[in-house]
Amino acid sequence: MSMAHVAGEAGQGARTSKRSQILEDRPVNLDGFVEEWPEVGLVAMDSDNDPAPSVRVEDGVIVEMDGRQHADFDFIDQFIADRAINPSVTERAMALSAVEIAHMLIDPKISRDEVIAISQGLTPAKLLEVAKTMNVVEMMMALQKMRARRTPSNQGHTCSARDNPVQVVAEAAEAALRGFSELETTLGIARYAPLVAIAQQVGAQTGRGGVLTQCALEEATELDLGMRGITTYAETISVYGTEAVFVDGDDTPWSKAFLASAYASRGIKMRFTSGTGSEVLMGGAEGKSMLYLEIRCILIAKGAGVQGLQNGSISCIGVPGAVPAGIRAVVAENLIASTVDLECASGNDQSFSHSDMRRTARFLPQFLSGTDLICSGYSATPNYDDMFAGSNLDAEDFDDWNVLQRDMQVDGGLRHVPEAEILAVRGKAARALQGVFSYLDLPPITDHEIEEVIYAHGSKDLPFRDVLEDLKGAQSILDRGITGLDLVKALEATGFRDVAENLLAVLRQRVAGDLLQTSAILDADFNILAAVNDANDYAGPGTGYRPTGARWEEMKRLRHVMSAADPEQEAV
Amino acid sequence: MTDSSVSTPVTLSSERSLALIECGNASIGRRNDEVVIGISPAFGNFFTKTITGVPHVDVLRELLAGIEEQGIQARVVRLSSSSDLAVIAQTAARLSGSGIGVGILSRGTTMIHQKDLARLSNLELFPQSPLIDLEMFRSIGRNAAQYAKGEFPVPVPPGNDYMARPRWQAKAALLHLKEMEFIKPGTQPVELKVEISARQMSARPVVTP
Repeated sequence: MSMAHVAGEAGQGARTSKRSQILEDRPVNLDGFVEEWPEVGLVAMDSDNDPAPSVRVEDGVIVEMDGRQHADFDFIDQFIADRAINPSVTERAMALSAVEIAHMLIDPKISRDEVIAISQGLTPAKLLEVAKTMNVVEMMMALQKMRARRTPSNQGHTCSARDNPVQVVAEAAEAALRGFSELETTLGIARYAPLVAIAQQVGAQTGRGGVLTQCALEEATELDLGMRGITTYAETISVYGTEAVFVDGDDTPWSKAFLASAYASRGIKMRFTSGTGSEVLMGGAEGKSMLYLEIRCILIAKGAGVQGLQNGSISCIGVPGAVPAGIRAVVAENLIASTVDLECASGNDQSFSHSDMRRTARFLPQFLSGTDLICSGYSATPNYDDMFAGSNLDAEDFDDWNVLQRDMQVDGGLRHVPEAEILAVRGKAARALQGVFSYLDLPPITDHEIEEVIYAHGSKDLPFRDVLEDLKGAQSILDRGITGLDLVKALEATGFRDVAENLLAVLRQRVAGDLLQTSAILDADFNILAAVNDANDYAGPGTGYRPTGARWEEMKRLRHVMSAADPEQEAV
Repeated sequence: MTDSSVSTPVTLSSERSLALIECGNASIGRRNDEVVIGISPAFGNFFTKTITGVPHVDVLRELLAGIEEQGIQARVVRLSSSSDLAVIAQTAARLSGSGIGVGILSRGTTMIHQKDLARLSNLELFPQSPLIDLEMFRSIGRNAAQYAKGEFPVPVPPGNDYMARPRWQAKAALLHLKEMEFIKPGTQPVELKVEISARQMSARPVVTP
């Protein structure tokens, strides 16, 4: 091609090839990509500005960390040095090379416990150096071993763009039936929270007893709903990797640790949230790489004594997603959280790409390796209803997810449920909420609303509610001091004894305190599955969790599978 | 997953040009029928358009027109001390004789503030810069003017697009970082005279051999 064809005529559009035009129109080109800018922290994990690892202990106290002396520690260094790193093992652990530690991570002959004996002595810069020696496949091998709970699971989002509690109760019931072990909601109008949180709880316990629920809100309200037993866990307690960004939110690691202890005092499960990209997005990265700052967050969570962390960039995924090796850094975040013995709810929870190929590639590392909660969470509604601004996966992807589980024989926590069961559970949940609202003198739910929500896909298919009346009702829940036990009474009194019993069994866990164990979830029989009684025992081929038996039979079922006995029929 | 109708990138080139002439430190307005627009450090100078390519000249023109059509006066000030939208909007509100201010960042993120509100509160916030078009800027100006008159306008719907993140989040970070380079700490807000003129569309660039 001559230069004239390449450059085009001056004043006219340059001629482009038909192939370029087809590529130009591919969805992936709607995604945003930027060059690295390490000086301000716009770099995933490989920056000359990150510190070199070092540690020095005097009289059982860490007095130097990653090239900084005690007197020069910022409050995050101080918190990590005092609370997150074991001074009795750190010098021995730090003496190992990054490559040696990375080899330990992927070697199936070296147990998870042996790795943790070392990882508890590693500084942020050392953990970064370890991650930098690993490619994505090595990280996945390590993640498979380092995940705390043996059985992987999944978390769903159940929201409504109209904050419609009738929608949320039905979505939560369906999501619970489909296999999510945790459900999370949030609001468009924050004042709606008590009604929607109640709807999510009633729906979850209708769909499958023992599913845990949370409502992401401003921290004081979120804690209040947890203490009342309207929700059963919490996750949106955010921490940051630089002092400036922390202070911008009027917080410190100590204030976050105090909040964590408030949840623990009531036996309520909780985890922190962090992720690559948040500091640079707020212009406060202090020239450090995204992964280095995220490792500081991971160790803040460790130091605060919380059992787990939601990470994997989360709401900032557009930032690491736009720079080179950004998604590798996101896998590294999950791996490091698991490596320091935290439960990891591993992201895949925010709209990430216009390209179906790219968003699938995004979740494969966590999906194939298995994490404590692969998505945190998966939108169990259409994405337009997902009030976390959309997830990487939504209700329209359910069948794809189920097929991938079956193709790979990998347990992603979900299952195919026949239409009749879904319609039945949506209807039952909506009627249960109708009973609860009536018993508690809250704005009524009509039979028409119930009929519509059974068959709906999202909020666009539902009749509008009287928002002002609902908001008054929501306020009255707070004013009257309504708790989870009142919901149990309401369910029992209105003929939903089984749902009442499920909710009571979940609330009883607050007294037992077992949900405070690392990676705790409840199975369908209200047994705790946690790192203490369902510890990950992966030790190479032939070991660890593999879907077999009844679970594998369940995973084989899809919407359409031909019967082998009679190919004119579908298998059931 | 449903693909939403993602906002198309508008690389608009305006038919107008913008001159922002500095006229000394801004002072608190004495008339109660005014709205003050506070612009960020690099608005209309290093940057000439919002994140989606809406020209700053047209953004200001629509904001001003929205205010003026309500019979309210508008002043424009530049804050060079901060790129924090809440700070810019609140400062504009405190300089405004009516107590109503509009803050805007180069990328387009906009907020209506009132001088007695807490900094992190606001009257209206438009957090997703890629969704703000010229019509919305005009409505924002109109609402700000109505607040200045003591009225209670229906808030302008801020819009929501769940695919805005993959497309625009990294660019927003980049624009924010770039804007931060223009911060001059400790400087006072500066009063600006705004000159919007039609561009000579017929003129052809002269090419010298």
